[in-house]
Amino acid sequence: MEKIGEILRRIGYLLTRNRQRRELEAEMAFHREMAERAGRPEAKRTFGNQVRLQEQAREAWGWTWLEWFDRLFQDLAYAARTLRRSPGFTLSAILVLAVGIGVNVTAFSLFNLMVLQYLPVRDPASLVRLQRRSPDASTNTISYSSMIFYRDHAKTLSAVIGTLGTSGLQLENDVQPVSDNFVTANYFSELGTHSALGRLIDPQQDDAPTAAPVVVLSYGLWQRRFGSDPNIAGKIVHINHKPATVIGVTPNALASLGGQHPDLWFPILQIPYFIQGNTALTDEGSSGPAEMWGRLAPGVSAKAAEQELLALTNQLRKIHPKDIWDNEYIRSDPGGHDQLMQPELLTAVTMAGSLVLLILAVACANLGGLLLARGVAREHEISIRVAIGANRNRIFRQLFTESLLLSSLGSFAGLLLGYVVMRITIVHADAPLWMTATPDWRVIAFTVCIGFFAAVLFGFAPALQIARQRHRKTTARQVLLGAQIAASCVLLIVAGLLVRALQHALYTNPGFGYEQVVAIDPGLGTHGYKPAEARNYLERFSDRLRAIPGVTSVALTSMPPLGHVRVSTISNTINGHEVRIFPFQVDPAFFSTMQIPIVRGRNFLPGENHAVIISDTLARKQWPGEDPLGKQDASGSSPGDTVVGVVANARLIDMQDGDTVELYHAAKEADMTDLVVLVKTAGTPESLAPTIRSIAQSLDPKLFPDIRLLKGEFRDATRGSENIAKIVSLLGGVAVLLAGLGILGLVAYTVSQRTKDIAIRIALGSSHSKVLASVLSQFSWPVFFGLITGVGFTAALSHVLRRVLYGVSNLDLASYAAAIGVLLAIIVVAALVPARRALKLDVARALHQE
Amino acid sequence: MPKNEMPKSGMPSGALAMLILRVLHSGPLHGYAIAQRIHVLSSEVLEVEEGSLYPALQKILLKGWASAEWGISETNRKVRFYRLTLAGKKQLEAELKDYDRVTQAIQSVLRTA
Repeated sequence: MEKIGEILRRIGYLLTRNRQRRELEAEMAFHREMAERAGRPEAKRTFGNQVRLQEQAREAWGWTWLEWFDRLFQDLAYAARTLRRSPGFTLSAILVLAVGIGVNVTAFSLFNLMVLQYLPVRDPASLVRLQRRSPDASTNTISYSSMIFYRDHAKTLSAVIGTLGTSGLQLENDVQPVSDNFVTANYFSELGTHSALGRLIDPQQDDAPTAAPVVVLSYGLWQRRFGSDPNIAGKIVHINHKPATVIGVTPNALASLGGQHPDLWFPILQIPYFIQGNTALTDEGSSGPAEMWGRLAPGVSAKAAEQELLALTNQLRKIHPKDIWDNEYIRSDPGGHDQLMQPELLTAVTMAGSLVLLILAVACANLGGLLLARGVAREHEISIRVAIGANRNRIFRQLFTESLLLSSLGSFAGLLLGYVVMRITIVHADAPLWMTATPDWRVIAFTVCIGFFAAVLFGFAPALQIARQRHRKTTARQVLLGAQIAASCVLLIVAGLLVRALQHALYTNPGFGYEQVVAIDPGLGTHGYKPAEARNYLERFSDRLRAIPGVTSVALTSMPPLGHVRVSTISNTINGHEVRIFPFQVDPAFFSTMQIPIVRGRNFLPGENHAVIISDTLARKQWPGEDPLGKQDASGSSPGDTVVGVVANARLIDMQDGDTVELYHAAKEADMTDLVVLVKTAGTPESLAPTIRSIAQSLDPKLFPDIRLLKGEFRDATRGSENIAKIVSLLGGVAVLLAGLGILGLVAYTVSQRTKDIAIRIALGSSHSKVLASVLSQFSWPVFFGLITGVGFTAALSHVLRRVLYGVSNLDLASYAAAIGVLLAIIVVAALVPARRALKLDVARALHQE
Repeated sequence: MPKNEMPKSGMPSGALAMLILRVLHSGPLHGYAIAQRIHVLSSEVLEVEEGSLYPALQKILLKGWASAEWGISETNRKVRFYRLTLAGKKQLEAELKDYDRVTQAIQSVLRTA
């Protein structure tokens, strides 16, 4: 009973605590008055501790957490007043934080949008992406027949969704090919997508080889090509000269699987109708061009599905023993996102993450220096507060509350900044319309966390130093300066490296001539050509192409330079190093057409077999210091192949990777169905396309060659590096600005603290240069350690960078030297300006200032 | 924040509560008067500081041993008077009984040892 009464009284106190507080104050005031009146002046002594007395009296009620909140609000109110009183400081601090936090928020928002956030489709959580894996092989694609096998037998999957993209479909008589996606009939219904106009592909009506040929238009194509015709549904269009009925238009904000944005959608069963001779549906075996997705049956985990699919793979091995790898399984990854979190992506994410965190670190170090400097200005205020009985904890708490308030304001500004940048990025990058810049709960939670992190980073140490009245000590400032220099150093060097990489990619010769070359992929294999037919076709095609005025040469290759389709690589270990080899099957005209010089030996002879030509780098890697000609063991070639020539390096496929090497075989009869024709012209390559198309039509009307200018492909290939380098240069610029200002402020402040000291030295007859040297020498250790740490860290980081970006060298002296030079210059300028002022000062005035 | 600070007179805080309850037994008093009464009754040996008096009073209110009400002081000022409750009387009795028992025990040890 007694306990309950006590609790009720506590609650009563809680509800009336403001009145209670006032009453207690009045009571104590009365007490003191009475004591004084009774002639006991010693009662006055307790005056300074009045606040603490009241706190103690109230603590008897036991609601200390409540008191804690009360004090927090008091602290916040006080902090707000302090910040309002120095708007210049507050504004610059918020600006610095907004940049540091905003950069992080933007990076996280992008990551969130692509990797964490679900696609706006029906039940995205149960969608899985299914891929063939084995311990030593992996592929994103699978044959249609295997997919159907899994679909028909898997009980853990309620649906299997397949997509298959080909290239170069011709819509009506357009010159530009359109991109297509052949999808299983359940594609749109499984994703819960509704049409913008007409209907979409429907399992009831379109899932049969005999169904009427239909096509769905993307919203963009409908607008661009058909002028948003509201009556498009039901009209007939011709694709590869085959009539098909337009049944509808996809929504504008379509969320499609695998981040694809095709122009046209077809039921997968109609591939043979549109692409004559295509055997994708009937090819047995497991390797094929389709991509597979699944929907987990209710209550089934991805792991359970993998188990069942593994059993099915083992059954499939009995049917197609040759096509299933050893230990093959189907991996099931969460599929309801725009991007899958693949290991390659992880590297890029880690890199970007550490760079943007460094910017935050620079911003925080910057701000920490400002706060320390402010500590001196606030000495007076703080000493008064200590005198009236505030203890250090209390002052520390007050100062840190101020930092928290600053970081909250900075976070809010950073969130706004991130939103604006995201808006611009989304519009600029032509992102799918369902992507929005509006931050979701994850982004907001991230912002709160990073804001708190920032407050600890910039506010904790200065608050501690100031509360202990130790801010005049130089240690904290030296550590701050060192940290700032290290972080700025990393950012500057990385920015330098990336800019150099960009120059590399854009302005250096990739090793082959591309400006006047057109690549034509007739797609013989996809149209069911046999090797002999293909050779016949290519011979006739080449002859006709050579006859075009201006064409200087025509060549054949298995992989079109800078192309992204049908790229094959061989990974091989040469002398203990992992080397990625690109194997090409080419004809003798290839090297002159691509302007790749033969540096040793000779070209292929017509009709020659068992001859290989290797790139210079491969020759060096495989036989260092030896003559490669006549050697037999070129990695990646078949037994009996002899090296007949060495050609200069050419980054024909992967512009980003400087480590890859090329290996050329003479194209054999069996390779003919896969060959791409290269045409080099003396005139403008743009004008060739119509002629090429009409020649192709006259040779075989069912082929619709994919015609690409290498010039354009080159621009596409470098665009990625260009964008990344632009962004990093921008970030680097921001970081340098932040770091420059921070270092300038910190050094200038430290020097100005020594004004008196300098003046006395001068008065005692010290020379100017000696004094300057002593002033500068106090920065030598932080600068030294900062630079060492920064350079070491960057050296480690550039190792990762090299894998992501082409042309980043491991030890690019120019970038390192430039970064170190810029930093040293900033420090010297920062120290010289106040030091010069101090040198001019006369002793009397300097001493007077104290 | 330092807690459990000893009052200057060296009086344990439990004893202070007992003394407060005892002086309130003869009628309601305000805070200053309580301190004064203890001071006078102890022949000016015990001096109760604000620093211990008000926390002790808050505790007594919390336990329900006394109630507070506003009244007018002898100097014509509004001030809070503390009045012993029934629970407070019981508590005082219990504490006195305890105190007697302990002091008798101590005295008998002192006499006979």
